[in-house]
Amino acid sequence: MDSSEDPPTAILALFQSEFAPEQKGLIDWGWLSDHLTSDILPALWEHIILCAVSVGIAVVISVPLGILCARYRRLYPPVTAITGFFYTIPSFSMFTILLFVIGFSVGKTPAIIALVLYSLLVLIRNVVTGLDSVPPETKDAARGMGLTDRQILLRVELPLALPVIVAGMRIAIVTVIGIAVIGAYIGAGGLGELIFDGITRDFPTLYLTGAVLSTLLAVTIDLLLVRTERLLSPWARRARGAN
Amino acid sequence: MIEFKGVSKTYSGSKEPVVKDLSFEIPDGDICVLVGPSGCGKTTSMRMVNRLIEPTNGEILIDGQKNTSMSGTQLRRKIGYAIQQTGLFPHRTIGENVGTVPGLLGWDKERTTKRVNDLLDMVGLAPDQYRDRYPAELSGGQQQRVGVARALAADPPIMLMDEPFGAVDPITRESLQQEFLRIQEDIKKTIVFVTHDIDEAIKMGDKIAILKEGGVLAQYDTPENILADPGSDFVSSFVGTDRVLKRLSLLQVRDMDLDPVNGNSDNLPQIDERLTLRDALSEIIGTGADKGLVVGGGNGSPQGTLSIEAIRALSNRETTDRETTGG
Repeated sequence: MDSSEDPPTAILALFQSEFAPEQKGLIDWGWLSDHLTSDILPALWEHIILCAVSVGIAVVISVPLGILCARYRRLYPPVTAITGFFYTIPSFSMFTILLFVIGFSVGKTPAIIALVLYSLLVLIRNVVTGLDSVPPETKDAARGMGLTDRQILLRVELPLALPVIVAGMRIAIVTVIGIAVIGAYIGAGGLGELIFDGITRDFPTLYLTGAVLSTLLAVTIDLLLVRTERLLSPWARRARGAN
Repeated sequence: MIEFKGVSKTYSGSKEPVVKDLSFEIPDGDICVLVGPSGCGKTTSMRMVNRLIEPTNGEILIDGQKNTSMSGTQLRRKIGYAIQQTGLFPHRTIGENVGTVPGLLGWDKERTTKRVNDLLDMVGLAPDQYRDRYPAELSGGQQQRVGVARALAADPPIMLMDEPFGAVDPITRESLQQEFLRIQEDIKKTIVFVTHDIDEAIKMGDKIAILKEGGVLAQYDTPENILADPGSDFVSSFVGTDRVLKRLSLLQVRDMDLDPVNGNSDNLPQIDERLTLRDALSEIIGTGADKGLVVGGGNGSPQGTLSIEAIRALSNRETTDRETTGG
């Protein structure tokens, strides 16, 4: 009867001895410092690159597409419908579809594609909203003074829309940092790999490090972009200060 | 000179024209005010001069050349443009805003800076204090001054102004109007000025074009002539029942033939010769007299007397003249 309770414990112990180092307390600081440069920082860096590349590609697609949508209004509803559809697909399902329906092999490519698709809606929407927020009389005055359409776009509309576009980038990046964690499931690497590995090996040091770092990364980037948003519209800040 | 030749505009999707067969000429150095009720096509007419809107029919000549002889953007860089909401670039400083067109024309930095400073001075904004501020840091009246300065930046011979003093309180508007007229005495631009306010039109215009709904030119003449002789019931009602008084406000006491000073003038109200006839009349009536002692000549000495009769005769004579000519 004694042994009836033993097997699960025994199996767990077996697993632990096989996969996880001896652990003292919740975090094994020794292990952490030993593996900081070999595992932790590379994972963090990989995560940053993964997100930066994805959002970078998404911006390159969204800005022209958003400008087109703002100019040719008929494009806007179908574009938001399609990108909105991408946005609603649960991330695990998205990865599954990319791998097993479309047939990508495991790795960074399907992860980046997924992250780009998730970013499009927010980015395009903010590009259009930003361009819409430019006062019509400002554009009229620009035209009336003899700026070409291109000059109006580059010198008036985009600079005025930029804070709104950056606000969209903020939301996109924070979303992507979160979803990229799950990307490790299909071999994208990054901080998610620490978490998945840690769970598999029942090694809290590893999964907690992944969780904490991805959270810190999201918060830090968010704060940085808030600062950027403000720096990009000194005219609005000065006006508020003056009143 | 700007010439409208049979200019019409019908927007696509609409059967009724907003501007119909408009023909008139604006001499160099004149302020021509386009005035009329909303929907009379006055802004559309103005915007066809620099081709922000292209006419459906007819043509507009500037100094004898069709305004289609160069590209729209080239044309617009040569024509000043100021609008009611100012349209200042919120992300550019006052100096950068004023320097916009010089920048487009490729002026060097030094020349632009000097021009910007001169213009800010001219519109009464100390350059050192205002050049580096953003538009949102200025009051509405200051923003409109900047709008006018920006329109003048490249010293264009022609200016288009769409209610440029419209977005401020009446007192500020009054002083902006005065200042602009003072500036115009020096710069002598050919100006197309749009307003819905007949009083502003009378005050600012060398010529007034009154448009009625459907974009038809109801009358085109000097303010004096329009007030003395409204060509139609529409113009008459548009200029208002106080047109006689409005007309008096266009004339100054010193423009009148005065009566000699006879006998005791001590109890007559004193009237500065620079007053308008309207104000002089108000002054005389207000004191219960039937004439006033006109003073002036730099030292405030008596110049003669002005009677209510003389003012009335002025209005009557015009009326009689017209009836004689008309008959």
